[in-house]
Amino acid sequence: MQLFVEQLINGWALGSLYALFGIGFGLVFSTLGILNAAHGTYASWAAIAGYYAVERFGVPFPVAIAAGVIGGGLLAVVVDQIGFQPLRAKKTGMLGALITSIAFWIILDSLAGFATGQQSLAFPAASYPNQMVVMGPLRVPQMQIITIVALLVCTIGIHLLIQKTRIGAAMRAVGWNEVAAALGGVNARMVILLTAFLAGATSGLAGVLGGISTSNVSFTLGEGLMLKGFAAVVVGGYDDVRGTAIAGICLGIIEVFVAQYISTSFRDGFTYMLLLAFLIARPRGLFGSASFVRA
Amino acid sequence: METFLDLWAAYGSTVTFAMVNALFALSTYAVLSTGVLSFTTVVFAAVGGFLAAQLSGKFGLPLWAAFPAAALGGGFAAAVVAFAFLRLESHWMALASLALVLITRVTALNAPALTGGVNGLIVPVRVEPLELAILLALCTVVFWRLHRSWFGLASRAVREDAAVASTMGISPYRIQFIAFLISGVVGGLGGAALAFTLQFISPETYFIGIAFTMIASTVLGGSFHWLGPIIGAAVFTALPTTMQAIVPQIEDVAKGVVLLLIMIFLPRGLIDPRAWGLKKAAKLREETEAKRAAERDAHA
Repeated sequence: MQLFVEQLINGWALGSLYALFGIGFGLVFSTLGILNAAHGTYASWAAIAGYYAVERFGVPFPVAIAAGVIGGGLLAVVVDQIGFQPLRAKKTGMLGALITSIAFWIILDSLAGFATGQQSLAFPAASYPNQMVVMGPLRVPQMQIITIVALLVCTIGIHLLIQKTRIGAAMRAVGWNEVAAALGGVNARMVILLTAFLAGATSGLAGVLGGISTSNVSFTLGEGLMLKGFAAVVVGGYDDVRGTAIAGICLGIIEVFVAQYISTSFRDGFTYMLLLAFLIARPRGLFGSASFVRA
Repeated sequence: METFLDLWAAYGSTVTFAMVNALFALSTYAVLSTGVLSFTTVVFAAVGGFLAAQLSGKFGLPLWAAFPAAALGGGFAAAVVAFAFLRLESHWMALASLALVLITRVTALNAPALTGGVNGLIVPVRVEPLELAILLALCTVVFWRLHRSWFGLASRAVREDAAVASTMGISPYRIQFIAFLISGVVGGLGGAALAFTLQFISPETYFIGIAFTMIASTVLGGSFHWLGPIIGAAVFTALPTTMQAIVPQIEDVAKGVVLLLIMIFLPRGLIDPRAWGLKKAAKLREETEAKRAAERDAHA
């Protein structure tokens, strides 16, 4: 029983990383209509930024996290302005931005390889909370609790932002139709910048937390998160952050349980079986809106 | 002749891979030209590739028999995929097809009897560049004929506006289904061609890398004309080689930057029939205006 609960928390923490990453990916896809292949590199670069902040300047843990989050957000804004903004005026739809995002993926991945010297770095053990929290018979690493709480805060915060505030309404309007939103008095440029930053920042957060808890700061970090975060977005429904969060947590728990109780070789297999089942049975995901058709 | 042989020794493999990538790009173009962004070419390529590898490896089938089998396999896979995915809205289609690529790799990894699993398969047969060129030429002729046929016209209509197309009696579902079948057949051929070129395939061969290569080739070359994917594949395949010659340390970065610049300045791709049309129209207008001006001068 104790093992079961511990593994449950393990899976939940792992799934929280997937979900945190997936939220940003889904946000960009639903609001800006961009299938962003470069999204994984934001996480890698955020982890690298956090790592060097600790390594070079010896900053405390919260500052390292902030460095990663802000770094990821700024990187996303830069990529958006260089790679996607010139194409918006030319009306190339999803296709043009997909190709420029592939270009950025190639560029940023390769640069990340240089930044880490083509190897996987690990945060020094003293630079983050690495104690165990004892709760009765359970011992849970502090980082897992931080990760789980981070996802809860981000999900609730972003859900409220999108559903309850004027900014959120503007974001949904731009997602529906940018020109119509602009006619309705929405500053589309600001909404685009804000969305890009928010998406980069959440995946940056996932990157730093993931880089710390898996002791892997390199370009492979982003790729791993990308594959699983993407699955979370498809299962959860890309236009709702709650769906992504729940699906991400479920995927993490399933992954850990399959590895623990069935076989480690089926670890990925189960995730993608679930993905396939959703694609066939409920293609719009857990919370996806029923008739989401762009005219 | 001597210099030609030297050049071939240096760049022969680039040309071969450019032809294989051209098949993949044509397969992606087949669905893209009816307005469907789909990464499933990788799936069809995997089906065709493993089928061809097994047939030639286990049953000793010759090349000319393995290719049609791969095409059939790819086409069949495409029918299944089209049946399941064509009811999805375009955004979901893109996501779902990408997800299917991930699923394909995991499936291939867990079916070692069919695919060799993690260890992969050694392919005993090799395809000569000339044979590959003939195959590509055949496919190109088909695409050229299709482009000028009723189907080509209908697919362009569906791509521009599916609702308008259906009011004119064209069924978007039917056109897109046929496009998927074509994509499957060409994708299967491409997968087999890749297997016979590399002579070793594993589940990692048919994965995200290839998906992004084919979509980038297609859009880079231009997705509005059948020549686009072929040119795009040639450019995209030659890019790393060229960049390695110019800036060896940062060849990947340079490749990305070139791709970025082409897309920003030529978002419709290198081959753009609309640009040709506009240029032609502008020239015609100039000529008529010049003629009119001349007539007016003559009257005056």
